[in-house]
Amino acid sequence: MFTRRSDLPLDKDAHSRFLPWLIAFMVFLAIMAMAGMLVLNATASRWDQGIRGTLTVQVMPAEDPAKDDARLQAVLSVLAQTPEIDSYETLTDDKLLKLLEPWLGPASGSRDLPLPRLVDVELKTGADLDAEVLSRRLAVRVPGASVDDHRIWLKRLVRLIQTVEGLATMVLAFIALATVGTVVFTTRTGLDIHREAIEVLHLIGAQDSYVAGQFASRAFSLGLKGGFFGLLLAVPTLLGIGYLAQQMDSSLLPDVTLGLVHWSVLAGLPLVVSLIAMVTARMTVMKTLSRML
Amino acid sequence: MTTDDSENVVRFENVGLRYGLGPEVLQDVTFSLPAGSFHFLVGDSGAGKSSLLKLIYLALKPSRGLISLFGRDIATTPRRELPAMRRRVGVVFQEFRLLNHLSAFDNVALPLRVAGVRKSDIQKHVVELLSWVGLKDHLDARPPTLSGGQQQRVSIARAVISRPKLLLADEPTGNVDDRMAMRLLHLFEELNKLGTTVIIATHNSHLVEKMGFPKMHLDEGWLEIVGADTDRASVPPASEPGPGGGLLDDGDDDGTRPDLEKLF
Ligand SMILES: Nc1ncnc2c1ncn2[C@@H]1O[C@H](COP(=O)(O)OP(=O)(O)OP(=O)(O)O)[C@@H](O)[C@H]1O
Ligand SMILES: [Mg+2]
Repeated sequence: MFTRRSDLPLDKDAHSRFLPWLIAFMVFLAIMAMAGMLVLNATASRWDQGIRGTLTVQVMPAEDPAKDDARLQAVLSVLAQTPEIDSYETLTDDKLLKLLEPWLGPASGSRDLPLPRLVDVELKTGADLDAEVLSRRLAVRVPGASVDDHRIWLKRLVRLIQTVEGLATMVLAFIALATVGTVVFTTRTGLDIHREAIEVLHLIGAQDSYVAGQFASRAFSLGLKGGFFGLLLAVPTLLGIGYLAQQMDSSLLPDVTLGLVHWSVLAGLPLVVSLIAMVTARMTVMKTLSRML
Repeated sequence: MTTDDSENVVRFENVGLRYGLGPEVLQDVTFSLPAGSFHFLVGDSGAGKSSLLKLIYLALKPSRGLISLFGRDIATTPRRELPAMRRRVGVVFQEFRLLNHLSAFDNVALPLRVAGVRKSDIQKHVVELLSWVGLKDHLDARPPTLSGGQQQRVSIARAVISRPKLLLADEPTGNVDDRMAMRLLHLFEELNKLGTTVIIATHNSHLVEKMGFPKMHLDEGWLEIVGADTDRASVPPASEPGPGGGLLDDGDDDGTRPDLEKLF
């Protein structure tokens, strides 16, 4: 006999039917923005770590190939005398060719091609080495030797990524705002529709929180329903993008797969949006009711 | 007039009420109702009976004057403490104000639910009370499918289910026949004997005369208490039911008195 129905027939409100759809869409967008952010973030921090302490010294091939080894040795001795440098390693031709593969293709196996010699340099942690100075010192001893400071262009790249991340954060903030606005509107309409019943509840001694709780749990369940649907749409989309990225030549692309932590963060988004909806509905009702005696 | 509020359930002092910018529908209303009293509120249609009751059940703020309820000045009582006060007041609204999407059962259970009473404790009381007002077969009916008189009885059951300290009934017998009206009034009377202060607004002068309780007479916004022998107010002239007399007691004078100890 005891119906599980709440005291207000909120589940029959036609005006709130669109809410789950809207929230599904918002959660979908939020997951996309968030996933992009997570990937970029992982990439940026990986790059950031990678470049923090490394330089590459490039020794251009001389006209007389016989001198190449001596030139390289001269460069290495300069490096050995630089206190900020922790270690250095000359790249073998094999490694070099592998690096060039994406541009030249595997056919570039011909050793006849004059290749520059590359030396990977690791700096000591925290060492602040001015690449310009090193470059000049090297050029004096060995004309045609130059320092490729990854830090400059990678820093720019990282800054770009951070900008994109900032934009994604803004998108998330807009989504949260839009959710709040929609829930406020829906709740206000609900309050109007059920004005009479709410007044009766109020007059028989219901606390504001009693009425607010009904709107809040309704908003929460609608939010969860929509959010779950949004997640359901987003997962195959993300998997599809990941698959496409893997199909492409991955040596040029950063690793774009999402880890378990990332997936759980994304899966938590519907809950976050539902909680936003719940709190918003509650606050809207409390504010409206506080005008009653 | 006493100013000691501990004795008075309701006290009005120079209360005036106007709706918006309209004229005052209540003017300088001053009275106090001692705990356990029983009053009829009479007056022509439009005299302000419902308005007066609305002030008492805290649906309206007076435009001026002082109202105290259960010894507390309403104007200075923090808003968050009002719900607890409202729960001690049972109201039969003139237009019933039942929730149409809820069954008769759920409507009557509402005050208990709002007060946080456990479901298991609600069930029995609600069924018994609805049976007593003759709605045993309509527990699951929605108000729109009930007749006016039946709706009225549901709303009365809702008003008394929590055994309020103060019962306000606005024209509670307007839609039922005289026999049912008598039966309902006896319910109020029994509640009154258990300590509930009762105010019944009505046009039915026949019933008022028959019951013999004092009258609060409203005329163009002015209030006057007639037959206000307040000492007598809590001792109605109507015949006492025998001990244990009530619904199930065949020895009852007209078989319409509820046994409240059983009902609640
Ligand atoms: N919400 C309102 N807004 C404006 N005026 C109102 C409102 N409610 C009542 N009034 C006015 O207040 C006066 C008293 O109305 P009230 O309903 O209190 O009378 P009543 O004695 O209960 O009448 P009845 O016996 O017909 O129920 C009337 O003149 C009415 O027009
Ligand atoms: Mg009226």
